[in-house]
Amino acid sequence: MTEYELIQGLRQGDENAFRFLVDTYQDRVYNTSLSIVQNAEDAEDVAQEVFIQVYRSIHSFKGEAKLSTWLYRIATTRSLDLLRTRKSKKRSGFIQRLFGDGNEPLYEIPDFNHPGVALDQKENAGKLFRAIAQLPENQKAAFALHKLEDLSYQEISEIMKTSVAAVESLMHRARQNLRKILEKETG
Amino acid sequence: MQDDRTYRNEQILNSLDGCERASVPDFFYTRLKARMEKEMVAPARRPLLRPAYVLAGLILILFINVAVVWMSGDQTEPATAGTETETSQQTLASEYSLNDNYLTYEMNAEK
Repeated sequence: MTEYELIQGLRQGDENAFRFLVDTYQDRVYNTSLSIVQNAEDAEDVAQEVFIQVYRSIHSFKGEAKLSTWLYRIATTRSLDLLRTRKSKKRSGFIQRLFGDGNEPLYEIPDFNHPGVALDQKENAGKLFRAIAQLPENQKAAFALHKLEDLSYQEISEIMKTSVAAVESLMHRARQNLRKILEKETG
Repeated sequence: MQDDRTYRNEQILNSLDGCERASVPDFFYTRLKARMEKEMVAPARRPLLRPAYVLAGLILILFINVAVVWMSGDQTEPATAGTETETSQQTLASEYSLNDNYLTYEMNAEK
């Protein structure tokens, strides 16, 4: 099925087309989300939301970008939205602890292990993911898309609707920040 | 010592090289379809239509109404207002000789 046929099928509400879309892109969407939210359940939730959004808004897809670019964009945006919600929950949890009886636990993300990391790299990757979680949103997204989805700067620039130079700069700053975080944590 | 730490950190930074793509959990499509069907049966409520917001909106409207009624009740007209208006109308009428028709009518009636 070509991309054009797929889009036409989706616009006509064809279930086979939708199934084909999910089968083709589910791992890319899930992996992107997992790399950003660093939690398997949340990543699955986000992946489901991405496909539901695509199903509902396929009529507004103008075809200016590739379908995969659009999916990556939705996945990245949704994942970052979830992180923002998590942050605000954490903040309100802190306030509740201040004014409550002090028994409410703070919502903390447990250490994350990506299933695709080689066994001998698990420990180092765990440290790196902890550092990635502390990066600013754009740097986090660019780093995840490049390192875990193996996308080129050109593709990332299309997903993030920015220039290649801006992505290069984001990646450079992300690496600098990660070095600083790691030095602080290992030093 | 510093070189060791730098080397270790570079190893950590490169630990995701060659990382494989994670796959969705089993029965992902089944769960997705179930969620879509569930959402189609019970579409998500708009945040502004939540009962709490609706109730707050109604209370606000009620409060505004009470406040408007209360404030308009405070503005009592002075007792002489009507008299003053009549006087000013008479003054205006006499200045512009607007009572002539009435006088003519009276004179004709006497005849």
